[in-house]
Amino acid sequence: MLPKYYRAICIGIAVWMTAVLLGAFLLDIPRLNILEHTARNLYFHVPLWFAMMAGFFVSAYYSLQVLRSSRQTYPLEADLRAEQAALVGAAFGLLGLVTGMVWARFTWYVGTGKWWNFDPKQTMAAVQLLIYGAYFMLRSNFEEPRSRSRISAVYNLFAASTIPFLLFIVPRQMESLHPGAEGNPAFSEITAPVMRLVFYPAVIGFIGLFWWIYTQRVHLRLLEEKLNRSSFLTRN
Amino acid sequence: MKIYYHPPQDTSDTAQPPAASGTPYDTVWNSTEVPTQEPPPLEKVMLAEDKLYVVLAVTLVIWLGLLFVLFRTNRRLDRLEKRLPEEEERS
Repeated sequence: MLPKYYRAICIGIAVWMTAVLLGAFLLDIPRLNILEHTARNLYFHVPLWFAMMAGFFVSAYYSLQVLRSSRQTYPLEADLRAEQAALVGAAFGLLGLVTGMVWARFTWYVGTGKWWNFDPKQTMAAVQLLIYGAYFMLRSNFEEPRSRSRISAVYNLFAASTIPFLLFIVPRQMESLHPGAEGNPAFSEITAPVMRLVFYPAVIGFIGLFWWIYTQRVHLRLLEEKLNRSSFLTRN
Repeated sequence: MKIYYHPPQDTSDTAQPPAASGTPYDTVWNSTEVPTQEPPPLEKVMLAEDKLYVVLAVTLVIWLGLLFVLFRTNRRLDRLEKRLPEEEERS
């Protein structure tokens, strides 16, 4: 059930992320006013969002597979994969939100005591998480697996279509602390080469982490379903 | 914002200087308490070492979240394993 060489890939991800961690803390970065060392949060906060988007993309893909399958059968694997990808993706998104709050609280909002700032990107990301939270609530409303899988798949595709608007288009139109927003230079203009050396591998590493947790959970759920079915069939 | 300084217009030789104009500024400011607020203890810790501990806090959030997921998955796997002997009994 698991892909071939699964253990080797997981070990590779672990080694890669360890290297990212070492680079994140050991390499010297340009020291700017206000930011100082917290610029290193770039290697952690931003890749979490990339991992979330990868998760939601995978979830949308499997939701499409659910809808493409026959109406008579229950597409177990596609449905489980859609759910788990959204779940793990949302978990990464929640971590991204919390890390952003912690970063901002002690960097740009020192002395104000403010943990939430109604920054456009921050707020839109929270809205995005609420939209996917509603996906799970929708799923829990259905007992029958076929209707649950199909209706939640439709909602998932709508939810996925909001991602570019909420996370990229709207925040860039408004004044915000985030790069690329109104009045701020874009990320590509301000990121030093030494930071890109750690940042791009970090994005790959966090997406790898997502993949690891996601495949583990899919495996777990498939085993659970198998056991549920066999116990159902042998019950007399 | 520009602050313009206009020196006092002194037209006569015998004009009286303003009251404190002879006092050098450093003696005035030496004795004056500049009102500042002591930062709260949490902020004092987080701002130390060029805000390095903010990076630590972010990394810890991610690490603890990861541990949470791993332990939850472990527990579910344990529960699955416990059910296996039942299935062997049935079949």
